[in-house]
Amino acid sequence: MSFNPADLNGVLPALILAGGAMLLLTSEVFLRTADPDRRYQAWVAAAVAAAGLWAAVAQFGDPALPLFSGAAVSDAFARVIAAVVCAALLLSCVVAFSYLEVLRATRGEFYALALFSASGMCLLAQATDLIVIFISLEVMSLSVYALCAYLRRGKRPAEAAFKYFILGSFASAIFLYGAALAFGASGSTRLADVAAASRTGGAGTLLLASAALLASGFAFKVAAVPFHMWVPDVYDGAPAPVTGFMAAGVKAAAFATLVRILVTGYGDTAAGAHGWRGVIVLLAYLTMFAGNLLAVPQRSVKRMLAYSSIAHAGYLLVAVAAMGTTAPRADATEALLFYLAAYGATVIGAFAVVALIERKLALSGLGDDLSSWAGLSERHPALAAAMSLFMVSLAGIPPTAGFMAKLTVFRSAIEADLVPLAVFGVITSVAGLYYYLRVVVYVYMVPEAKPGAIEGGRLLSAGLAIAGCALIVLWMGVQPGTFASIAQTAATAFVR
Amino acid sequence: MSWLESHLLTVVIFLPVAGAVLVALLPRGEGAQHKGIAFLFSLLTFLASIPLWISFHPGAARYAFEQKSEWAPALGFSYHVGLDGVALLLFLLTTFLGPIVTLSSWKYIEVRVKEYSLALLLLETAMLGTLASLDLVLFYVFWEAMLVPMYLLIGVWGSERRIYAAVKFFLFTFIGSVLMLLAIFWLWSNSGPPGHRTFDYVALIDQGALPPAKQTWLFLAFALAFAIKVPMWPLHTWLPDAHTEAPAAGSIILAGVMLKMGTYGFIRYAMPLFPHAANQFAPAIGVLGVVGIVYGSFMCMAQTDLKRLIAYSSVAHLGFVMLGLAALTAEAANGAVLQMVNHGISTGGLFLLVGYLYERTHTRELSAYGGLAKVAPALTAAFVVITLSSIGLPGTNGFVGEFLVLIGTFTAKDLGTWSIRGAEFSKGMTLSVLAATGVVLGAVYMLWMVQRVFFGPERKAASHGVADLSVREWFTVAPLILAIVWIGFQPQPLLDAIKRPVDDFVQRVSRPEKVISPRPGGASSGEQPPAPDAPRIILPQRAPMAKPPAELDK
Repeated sequence: MSFNPADLNGVLPALILAGGAMLLLTSEVFLRTADPDRRYQAWVAAAVAAAGLWAAVAQFGDPALPLFSGAAVSDAFARVIAAVVCAALLLSCVVAFSYLEVLRATRGEFYALALFSASGMCLLAQATDLIVIFISLEVMSLSVYALCAYLRRGKRPAEAAFKYFILGSFASAIFLYGAALAFGASGSTRLADVAAASRTGGAGTLLLASAALLASGFAFKVAAVPFHMWVPDVYDGAPAPVTGFMAAGVKAAAFATLVRILVTGYGDTAAGAHGWRGVIVLLAYLTMFAGNLLAVPQRSVKRMLAYSSIAHAGYLLVAVAAMGTTAPRADATEALLFYLAAYGATVIGAFAVVALIERKLALSGLGDDLSSWAGLSERHPALAAAMSLFMVSLAGIPPTAGFMAKLTVFRSAIEADLVPLAVFGVITSVAGLYYYLRVVVYVYMVPEAKPGAIEGGRLLSAGLAIAGCALIVLWMGVQPGTFASIAQTAATAFVR
Repeated sequence: MSWLESHLLTVVIFLPVAGAVLVALLPRGEGAQHKGIAFLFSLLTFLASIPLWISFHPGAARYAFEQKSEWAPALGFSYHVGLDGVALLLFLLTTFLGPIVTLSSWKYIEVRVKEYSLALLLLETAMLGTLASLDLVLFYVFWEAMLVPMYLLIGVWGSERRIYAAVKFFLFTFIGSVLMLLAIFWLWSNSGPPGHRTFDYVALIDQGALPPAKQTWLFLAFALAFAIKVPMWPLHTWLPDAHTEAPAAGSIILAGVMLKMGTYGFIRYAMPLFPHAANQFAPAIGVLGVVGIVYGSFMCMAQTDLKRLIAYSSVAHLGFVMLGLAALTAEAANGAVLQMVNHGISTGGLFLLVGYLYERTHTRELSAYGGLAKVAPALTAAFVVITLSSIGLPGTNGFVGEFLVLIGTFTAKDLGTWSIRGAEFSKGMTLSVLAATGVVLGAVYMLWMVQRVFFGPERKAASHGVADLSVREWFTVAPLILAIVWIGFQPQPLLDAIKRPVDDFVQRVSRPEKVISPRPGGASSGEQPPAPDAPRIILPQRAPMAKPPAELDK
């Protein structure tokens, strides 16, 4: 195995992010005062995220390149995921800036950890070797565990991080076991070799077992039912800007890897082409059903969004299932990418608004409940409008990104002959509408119980991020063609 | 052709959005300027839509003012708008009601005026877009976009149980439309080989209908969405709540335009796209229409709430429309379309006046009213005129529509017969006779309501001294009365305008076997190996008649 320095160019976004993280960590050494001004870190992190975004976008048109003798790949699919991750990071940094400043929780590690996790995500989307997948998975996960526990006050962040860590490690172990079985069956950890082994049909049972274990590991990361138990507590306990980043970034990277493993590694097993499709369909049914149903009784907006993220994982699984056909599955890949981007923009915006409410509650010592959203439109009309826009987008109503995302996903499901799954999906989305609308009800229709504006200032930077998300959501809803054609190009990565 | 001429329709559709942007940019303030801008832009929209009527030549082209441009080629849909006669009438009805609505709520809406003006303007664009779309995705986008502003109108500015009503309204309509969305995808996926599929309505219509076996489920998915919106009995339960709780402006839009979206959906989409299934289900639709007429009328008599009463009268009136569409004769379909417009004007007018009453008395209870004629004679006169139009008195608009529906249904031979105990009953005749009782019942409940509200002894509301119509209010009522009389005496221009689309509709649905055609690329998607092919051309055969869903007790 030879090392070709030119290959580093292929992982440029991840390199930039990791480099930025180290730069931030080193810079801590030079801070001498007792209570140093750490505002520069947010700006550096944002600049690094923007650079990563630029690197991903600049390489977009390049042809697909295998890197490091096949351990990773730089293709348009990975570049789109990297762009989504970097954009999510950029927006989340801006949100986190105001949040952390107001709660006086600026310490050195936050932005560095965020950058590390993002570099792990970018690499995850590129990896085509089980070892590389595992390493990038851990880079991403460990940083995110730490970010969840970042606010040290109170029990809930610690509980969230602990839960996430224990269950996450368990999932990693399952993944590792699957990788070991795959190695045993094919003699290699490269996905291409695994695919070759499965095509010849030797060691069929072992390969199927490895596929099941690898998929289970990532089903945990994407929060598919029944691997979803950690989601509500973790989403609820983590600081809101982190939750938003997690929902957008981790989901995008984990789905990218799941697809990479299933389609590249187990595209045609001896059990028939895409023997995994049935399992994914079942997971999609369960996830859409449980996610939407469990979100209905939630009174805490954060928990509601946690369950809604499970439900959205279900819709994304529909796209994954639609990829598992013998016919060209480019439209399903396109749908997956479109959905990930649309969901990312929406959910970061929603959690940015949640962050503002959360810091108001944290300053006044109240619990998170829908009633604290009452009358938001009277005091902060723009904020209320933005939150309603995000809710409408999550519910999948035009003219928003969420609608176009649902359109692409369900259309690809119809194309792939998954009509019952699509019907079930849209019916569960009606339940979804109910709980999203409830937020709008409180924001607009229930009068304020205890008047109080959001204090602590720094509304401008948070507002900037929220406005950015809102613009993306509207733009993807009104002019979906631009991003769709990008996703279309990227979707060719899997078409043979 | 100048730019404006070729883009006139688009300009009219999006003018309200321009107004909304302007409103959004203004500071919150007192609100008068927001109302002013909303009124100005809805008036401008109406004025800009007048040239559409003037330069419309019935029969010149299938769709006038057509414009097609790329929207999202990567996703397969385009921006394609155009109007046929039916859409044009409803389009003009919408722009006509726009300024009336904004003007009518000038005094009543005092809180969150900015949001209110925004919602009204965005709603208008969504409604206009729904009517003008010729691309299924574009249609769906506008169709769903109507929901959010209407939901806010009911939920924010409504009366006591507004939240319940708003959520119910949203959920009901959403359930219907998501299944329609899937049906649209299915239609797309069967419209040609990969790479040549289309969401374009005109292309889909010209392609000919799907094989009959495939039509049933797709028709039901479309029909459910539209039947909820109409609303057809038994899916109407959201309507009385929504109407009662909505502010007057919301009720006017809801009754005036939005309900018509359901019937318009039937005549434009559900029935012509799936003519075979529509033909089979026509008697069932007719029966449901008649049930709606009779049930709605009886419910009206039992109401104690003024707005609820008018809401149920909408159920009855739209039953007439559905019956007219189901009869599959040119007269009945003409009547149905006319009735859509009439209902918009007269029921819109009733809600307008009830809104004025509510502004003055803050009650909708019928028992609180009585003897208003003495204190507010002008308001009474206007109310009586609109009531008579709603009943369908000759000389008003309501008469023409209902009469055509009844006569068209009476002569409908294509519907077949029911045989009960050996005796054959023509379905058309039976339905029209039953529907005619609705006309009588309509007169009963409407006149009874007028008597209880305006005449008789003075009760609480009247004794408080109700002011008569102000100048501003006259400006909103007078155009409606003019329209009532004008259509009542001169329905012919309207009938001329809708002749071609209605004839096309009737022909297509009453003889569905003629439009089933072999499709380029086949009905099965192109990537599958060609199945051992059944002959693509379905031999002409008469559609078997569906059994009526319920035998009528006779």
